[in-house]
Amino acid sequence: MSATTLTHDHAHDDHAHDHAHHEPGWLYKYIFSTDHKVIGVQYGISGLLFLLFGFFLMMVMRWTIAYPGVPLPGIEFLSGLPVIGDVVTHWTERWAPGGIVSPDLYNMFGAMHGTIMVFMGIVPLGFAAFGNYVMPLQIGAIDMAFPKLNAWSFWLFFIGGMLMMASFFLPTGAAQTGWTNYSPLATTTHYIVKNTWLTGQTWWLAAMVFVISSSLLGSVNFITTLLNLRVRGMTFFRLPFFCWAMLVTSFLLLLAFPPLEVAAILQLFDRVFGSSFFLPTGLIQGGKLLDISGGGSPLLYQHLFWFLAHPEVYVLILPAFAIISDVIPCNARRPLWGYKMMVYSALTLGFLSFLVWAHHMYLTGMGTTMATYFQITTVLISVPSVILLTCLMISLWGGSIRFNTQMLFASAFLPMFGIGGLTGLPLAFSFIDLHLHDTYYVIGHFHYVVAPGTIFALFAGVYHWFPKVTGRFMNDTLGKLHFWPSLLFMNVIFGPMFVQGFAGFHRRWYDGGKAFESTTQDLLWTNELISFGAWGLAISQVPFIVNLWLSIKGGKKVTNDNPWGATTLEWCTPTPPGHGNFLSEPVTYRGPYEYSVPGHDSDFTPQFDGQAPGASAPAATPPVASHH
Amino acid sequence: MEIPYTVTARPDTGLWNAKIGVWLFLASEVMLFGGLFSSYIFLRLGADYFWPIHELNVKMGCFNTAVLIGSSVTIVMAWAGVKMRNYKMYFWNLLITILCAFLFLSVKFFEYKAKIEHYGVVLKDGTILLGHQPEEGYRYKFNADAVTLNFKEADPAYFMRYATKAFAEHGGAHDEHGGAATPTLPIEGVKFKTEDGKVTTLATNDFLSLKAAAKEAKKDSVKLTPVEPIGFNVQLLPQRLASHSDKTLAFLDGTVVEGKMVSDKMELHVDVIDTRAAPDADKSMAWAIMKDAGWKHAFDEAREEHLKKFKESHPGDDPMKSDHYLREALRFEIHGETPAAHEANHKQGLGFFHDMPWAEHHYPTVQIEAKDIQRWSNFLPKWNTYYAIYFTITGLHGAHVLAGALVMLYFLVFNSRWFKTDPEHLANRVETGGLFWHFVDLVWIFLFPLLYLL
Amino acid sequence: MANSPEEVAKHVKTYLKVGIALLFLTAVTVWLSYVDFGTHSRNMTIGLAVATFKTSLVVLIFMHMNHERPLIYKFMLFSMLLLGVMFTLFVFVRDDGLLLKGYEAVFGKH
Repeated sequence: MSATTLTHDHAHDDHAHDHAHHEPGWLYKYIFSTDHKVIGVQYGISGLLFLLFGFFLMMVMRWTIAYPGVPLPGIEFLSGLPVIGDVVTHWTERWAPGGIVSPDLYNMFGAMHGTIMVFMGIVPLGFAAFGNYVMPLQIGAIDMAFPKLNAWSFWLFFIGGMLMMASFFLPTGAAQTGWTNYSPLATTTHYIVKNTWLTGQTWWLAAMVFVISSSLLGSVNFITTLLNLRVRGMTFFRLPFFCWAMLVTSFLLLLAFPPLEVAAILQLFDRVFGSSFFLPTGLIQGGKLLDISGGGSPLLYQHLFWFLAHPEVYVLILPAFAIISDVIPCNARRPLWGYKMMVYSALTLGFLSFLVWAHHMYLTGMGTTMATYFQITTVLISVPSVILLTCLMISLWGGSIRFNTQMLFASAFLPMFGIGGLTGLPLAFSFIDLHLHDTYYVIGHFHYVVAPGTIFALFAGVYHWFPKVTGRFMNDTLGKLHFWPSLLFMNVIFGPMFVQGFAGFHRRWYDGGKAFESTTQDLLWTNELISFGAWGLAISQVPFIVNLWLSIKGGKKVTNDNPWGATTLEWCTPTPPGHGNFLSEPVTYRGPYEYSVPGHDSDFTPQFDGQAPGASAPAATPPVASHH
Repeated sequence: MEIPYTVTARPDTGLWNAKIGVWLFLASEVMLFGGLFSSYIFLRLGADYFWPIHELNVKMGCFNTAVLIGSSVTIVMAWAGVKMRNYKMYFWNLLITILCAFLFLSVKFFEYKAKIEHYGVVLKDGTILLGHQPEEGYRYKFNADAVTLNFKEADPAYFMRYATKAFAEHGGAHDEHGGAATPTLPIEGVKFKTEDGKVTTLATNDFLSLKAAAKEAKKDSVKLTPVEPIGFNVQLLPQRLASHSDKTLAFLDGTVVEGKMVSDKMELHVDVIDTRAAPDADKSMAWAIMKDAGWKHAFDEAREEHLKKFKESHPGDDPMKSDHYLREALRFEIHGETPAAHEANHKQGLGFFHDMPWAEHHYPTVQIEAKDIQRWSNFLPKWNTYYAIYFTITGLHGAHVLAGALVMLYFLVFNSRWFKTDPEHLANRVETGGLFWHFVDLVWIFLFPLLYLL
Repeated sequence: MANSPEEVAKHVKTYLKVGIALLFLTAVTVWLSYVDFGTHSRNMTIGLAVATFKTSLVVLIFMHMNHERPLIYKFMLFSMLLLGVMFTLFVFVRDDGLLLKGYEAVFGKH
């Protein structure tokens, strides 16, 4: 099968391969589907919507930071709308009287921005959506190993997400204690109420239990699929780096999430059954000793939380690397440089990420011995990260680069993630961290990693695989209109934060530091600048949203199953792939990145090309017996 | 198209899908229970009280351990039954496994019930009295003439949480013996009159309209008088309130109740006097509360006996440094209604089943003044971090037992027909369920000593 | 993997024996917990050693880890390793803490 003869008549193919099955109803085809592609798209849409929502929360926060005490614009307009008007009026009366954001509302939005972005936005989009859609295709599988479990994962995530969203409308509002939900603050917020089950803090914990269970099931599914459903010839070192990154991410989710589940369950017990897991003896609230046994430890919560949350950082970034490692070689027409080194780096990264968590806790009064240990491991983990980034950069060398939209996003990812990573290095050292902890410097650092870092990679992925999913291209002009302003405004937002951080701006100030005017006045103007960056970023997402929806029906039609001239297996499926993915079982003949191989006819040789020189397809052979 | 390797193993990994899946799941379960066990270690190292040892019912725990071990044998036998194509062996072993699971849960239910009905009271000097209460939960009675609501909060949450029940004053408040027919009603049902004579209640909607009316009148609070004479059962120690006297109770949410304290005494059937945390066991507040001087005498005698035993077995060691000695000598268990009955029971031996739920008990009844109490609670997560972690881990473990039982029941009911058509698939299912079941068993093997014995 | 019926039949007796051994060891654990070994940490160590032995019986015999595929050893090795990290570091961080030193300075060692 040669790459150039891959064009199919789609209308015919869609039904050709599943005539044996009876056609499921609409509900089971698009909503309760067990097909990995549908589930991937479901994750993708909900992830994008959550990202957008989280972004709106942040814009409200940015308003009050830049203009503390000034009523929010647009409230009157929203209150006047026909259906939601009453809800908006009622809700703003409670939380933003007169349109002025109350401190409680700021805290609530702050906590929910972090939670939604991390657990409901980026992980579902990067890991679950792209992983679900692309990974089984890349290994030549017809579906995930456990399709029903896959659907369960999505619906558990969905329930968790809905619980989170619904908690905004509880009398106490949603959680208000930061995305980390540190005890004792989180435990004792809205603690003495008639029914602790009906508070935002409790719903946050319950929602997290759902989301975590979803991730656990998902990661079991991913790993099993990757290990057992690889098609003939797909040896481990022929797996695209995308799949390797997903494998490592799955392991991180599998083993790091349970401790957070423990933390959530214990905090839930503290809240609703009055236990004292995270509450120390002698805790006072409202001037009175709380009626608790005490004897617990707030530090225990932080340990359990960060034991997850540091690996979680790599759960956010590895899918980004996964996507970029497919986009860059394809558009540079060069093999991925140092593929094996990248694989080993990702594995090392995954392992080391479990050993560094307490660098988030330098400020808790940790002793010097342990601080030294965590500083060493933290600095060590930067080595594999730098290897990954460097390999991607070297892959560009000598390429004939096509600067389409996804490549623009991918190439912007490299320096943006670089800034995010390098600004993290100083934070590894406890003596610097003691100064910068909880300032805007930290905000700037990790947002460079996840916002212009991961989110740009996710955009690149959307533009890259959109033709495979829908059969139509996204518009390139609109794409560029999306990319350039986004790049500019991302830097306008997060660049000045480093300066603010050095000046001691605390991340949880709801008035942006106006209350401390004597020390902050020189830099207060940057608050406004950053907020303008945020509005700008919002406007620059409009072309993307328009592009995404219009291209589904109106984009240019894909005429070739492999429109980008890529080498991995997902490009040999019909477009879009039907139920069961492949027309006939594919075979892998070569490595994943054979671009511009000297002596080959075209500048790319797909893995499924058995004609070009160098093809071999080893069958799966039993391992060396390890028993009896 | 079928997903490959659901029944047969893939040659290079040597495994079928569900087996990889279940082992991965177990790896994450290891981390889940690992997190709980490390919390256990953390809490135990940081405990500022005497960690309870042998305080749960060891016999019941031991029985449950045996049940789980037995079911571990039967589940692996069920699997062997499928492999050996012996239907009877498969069917009965799987059925017994499921029955064992439910037996385990039933025993657990009785253990939980016993703990929920058991109370602990920390006295001001640190002495702990354990026992049962004649009615569930300590509450004192306060006759209310007026309730003043404060509108700074969303609702009078603190008041409504702790003043759990109201009673008609003439039906129960003056009935010193707590007559069984005391009519009580939920607090939302109590009718009040406002100052201008309107009738209202504390239900959310009425509260909101009261609040709105007060806002219009620019008032912060509103005073309500009960339509009929009424008293409240208050579950929070008076000293936990914002302020209190015989005439007023002020709650932390700003609600103030005026009236008269009827009785704030707690009645307890004492079964253990734990003086370990008291500065001096001989001067513990417990002895005044117990009234009968015979109890102190019995305590002294038991302590002497243990001291003698300790000196014989550990010559030269300091008994006050031995947890074992302290637990035996300073934690005094009562086995009778009077000191004489206690001595008699002690001499003739207690019988193997004396601590089981169905055994009859007679314990001395004492009255404890509210001002002498530091804390009280039944043996729920609230009592201390030990019970908190006990209920959390065993609760989660119980949930795993239930889940495992339901999965195996599903196999038994819906997959047994595969025995003829697709026995290897059935064997795989039973093996998968079995792996999970063994994991549940081995978690319990650690839980049993850590929570019951050590 | 013990896959053929004959092989499985051979194992059945082992399973019964292991079950009886586990019951016996449970009784031993209970008995040992009432013996005073001087310090409680000795009781802890002995009790947990017996429990560990019991679990290894379950893991090796009932869960067939005595003859399993390499992949599964890798999974479990990795998760046990992380478990070890969690156990030890939680405790180390706690005992190396300024908090604890401050606490001891105020309230004395306990």
